[in-house]
Order: sequence, then C-alpha cells, then structure tokens
Amino acid sequence: MAEKKQGLHISGMRQFKAILKKDIVMELRTKEMLTSMGLYALLVLLIYRIALSQAGSAFDVTNIAGGLLWLAIVFTSLLGLNRSLVHEKDQGCLDALLLAPVDRPVIFFGKAIGNLLFLMIVEVLVTPLFMLIFGAGKYADASTAGYLALILLVGSIGIAGVGTLLATMSVNTTGKDFVLAVLFIPVMFPLLLAVVAATWAILIADPQMAVYWKMLGIAAVYDAIMLSAAYALYEFVLGA
Amino acid sequence: MKEIRTALWLAIVGGVMTTAAFLMAFFTAEVQQFGVVTLPKAINTVFPLQGQGADGFAYARPWFSQKIFYFHVPFAEASFLVFTVAAYFAVRFLMTRERSYDTKSRVAMEVALLFVVLTLITGDLWTKASWGVWWEWEPRLTTYFIMTLLMVAYFVLRSSLEDEERRAVYGSVFGIIAWINAPISFFITRVIPSDHPVVFKSGMATSNLVPFIVAQVGMLMIGYAVYVIRVREERMRERLEVVKDSLEG
Repeated sequence: MAEKKQGLHISGMRQFKAILKKDIVMELRTKEMLTSMGLYALLVLLIYRIALSQAGSAFDVTNIAGGLLWLAIVFTSLLGLNRSLVHEKDQGCLDALLLAPVDRPVIFFGKAIGNLLFLMIVEVLVTPLFMLIFGAGKYADASTAGYLALILLVGSIGIAGVGTLLATMSVNTTGKDFVLAVLFIPVMFPLLLAVVAATWAILIADPQMAVYWKMLGIAAVYDAIMLSAAYALYEFVLGA
Repeated sequence: MKEIRTALWLAIVGGVMTTAAFLMAFFTAEVQQFGVVTLPKAINTVFPLQGQGADGFAYARPWFSQKIFYFHVPFAEASFLVFTVAAYFAVRFLMTRERSYDTKSRVAMEVALLFVVLTLITGDLWTKASWGVWWEWEPRLTTYFIMTLLMVAYFVLRSSLEDEERRAVYGSVFGIIAWINAPISFFITRVIPSDHPVVFKSGMATSNLVPFIVAQVGMLMIGYAVYVIRVREERMRERLEVVKDSLEG
C-alpha cells in the first residue's frame, strides 16, 4: 500500500527536473534558442560598433560599457523569452503541462530556470567578446571576474523570473513580442539601473566597491520582491 | 439613477472647490519669496524692499511658479491613491473572480492615468520655470515616468487580448506588478538625494495649506465622480452585450 502511494506521488523536485530536462533536450536537438540568441547578441554588438564609429580613438567607452552590455542582454533575453514561451504554446506543450498533475509553481520555476540557464550561457559567450572588441575591461583585471559573474547572475535571475511571467501573458496576446517589450522594459527598469551601476563600478575598477555592493543589494531586493510577486501570480496566469 | 445623480453633485461640488482653490492660490495664499532682484530705481510693488545700495533697489522676488504646487501635488497624490485603489480591486478580482471587480479596477486605472497625465503636464511646467529644463532624469521624475509607462502598458496588454477572461486576469496580474513601482516612486525622494522638493517636511503656513487641501478634496471628488459614471457606463455596456448575444443566439 505504502509502496503504491510512493509510486503515484511524484515529488516537486522530480516534476521540476522533468520540465527543465524537456527544455534542455529540446535545445540539444534543435539548438534553436542558443543560436538565435547568440547570433542576435552578436548583431547588437555590431550595431554598437556603428553607434560608436564616429566617436574617435579618444573616446573612452568604459563609462557607458556597463549600459551597453546590459542592453545587449535585455534585447537578447526579450528574443529568448518570447521564443521559449511561443514553443510551449504553439506545440500545445503548456496545455499538456496543465493537464498533467504538476504543481503550478513548479511549472513557473521549471520554465524560469530553463530561461535563466540559456540566458547565462549566452552571457558567458558574449561578455568576454564584448570586453575584448570594445576594450571595456581595460581598467579591471581578472580578479574582478567574480564580481562581474555575481552581478550578471543577480540581474539574470530577475530578467528570467519576471520575464517568464510576462512572456507567458504576452504569447497569448495578438501583439506577442511587441507586447512583451512594452510590459518587460518598464518593469525591468529599476533592476537595470542597479545592475548597470554595479557593472560600471567593476569596469572603472572602483577601489572600495561601495557602489557595487549597494547596487547589488538593490538588485537583490528587487529580485526578491519581483520573484515573490511573479511566483504568487503565475498560477492565475496559467489558469486563465 | 441615484448613483449618477450623486456623482453629478460630487462633480459640481468638486469643480467649485477646485476653482475656489485656484482663486485662493492666487489671492489669499502667502506668496513664497524666492531670492532678491535688484532694480535701478524704486517701483511701486507689494513685495518688500530688502535694501538700497549703490547698484539699486533690492526687492524680494516672488516665486510665482510655486502656485502650481496647489495643483501638481494634489494631482500626484490622487494618482498614487487611485492607482492603489485599482491594484486593490485587481487583488479582489483574482480572489473572487467577480467581473465587477475587474471593471472597477480598469476604470480606476483610467482615472489614475488621467491624474498621472495632469501631474506630468503641471510638473513639466514647473520644471521649466524652476529648473530651466523641461525634463531631468532625477529619481522622482524617472520612477514616475516608469509608472506612467506601466499604466500605458496595462492598457496595451488589455487591448491586445481577445478572450474576455484572459483580459481580466492578465490585466489584474499586470496591474499588481505595475503597482509595486508606486510606493517606490512615492518614497524615493525621502530615501535618495533628489532635486524634487519634499513637501510637508518643514510645515506650511495656514494660508498655503487651506487652498492645497481644498484643491485635493475637490479633485478627488471629481475623480470619484468620473469613476462612478464610467463604472456605470461599463456595466450598462456589459448588459447590452448580453442582450445582443441572446438576441443573436
């Protein structure tokens, strides 16, 4: 009797792993998300080159480099979030997930962690490339890489978490990616302001790092508030 | 019908109060002094002569752009208040799934957006007069602008959804997410050093406080009247849709 009960009950952790594994397996087969996001990020860097083409050699990109890097991440994540949820909807996967005996919060975390994973992979590829071709990290050295990784992680958690909620809504609209941008950018604004300031502090090699820690704190508080709200509200969005 | 009559009376009383506040702001409120202006000769003015030197006559300079305070601040406070009401009804809707709450939430959001637009216009005029620029990326202005964009996004989201239940649920969810920015925008001038003035920190003269309060109450009355009439209109439209559907079916 006890054995049977155990067999029927699938723990939240296993449900979560199954959803995450589904996304990873699909990505390994099609390689669609990573190629499109990676290529798009590369194109954004190319556009930056055009924007900076008349700036001359005296122009120091360091002060605006943090903003440029995060802009590339925001645009890329808009693309990725939209794709990730369009797949779910068009192939009827979301409906199947709702039919399956899976807890709604687990679906949220499964999708959000999947989006976070793909976003982090793209960041790992794009950030060093960005530093190299724009010479943005010339004041910072390898010892600051850990700080940079931390702020990229905190920023990406917010983007992936809130983005998953907003993209789940926007895929059901007639405007799709346009609606996602309209919802996503103002909601993300405080977080972006904080992470850009923190990245700036790393790139100018701020010795005390006071700005960095303060801004990291603000970003973490934003993540905590917004993720709690997104977690609580995701159930309603899925149910509608 | 009784509702509408009450709303109309509220609108009239609110209009009278707001007009009275306008007149009081210019005729009875104490004029705020702002610096000193030195003129080559004496002029006939109610503003006190500060001193007479070799370079001319120094007069206290009145601060007329301060008059916008009696309208800008009540608009802004009303916008925060009505936005909070909209978010409250959004929560109520998600809890009960009663359609009337969603209608109330949406109409409150419309009224809040109206107050936000008025705040931005009056604020912009003051910014130009006082800071010499039309816009500055300063914490209060930035967060308030973001709040405006979030409210606009709320209506973009709604108009982009065809299914009625989805429109209501997604609208409520986004309304709550958007509201999180309201307390941030409200308290930010008290937390981060900001160019935006913080009112009620140093107190106010009674002649300044009275028109302010009268304007605030009058505007809230007008806002409430608009809200009641719009909710009524929406409810009648919903009823009409039901009648239409039953006739077609």
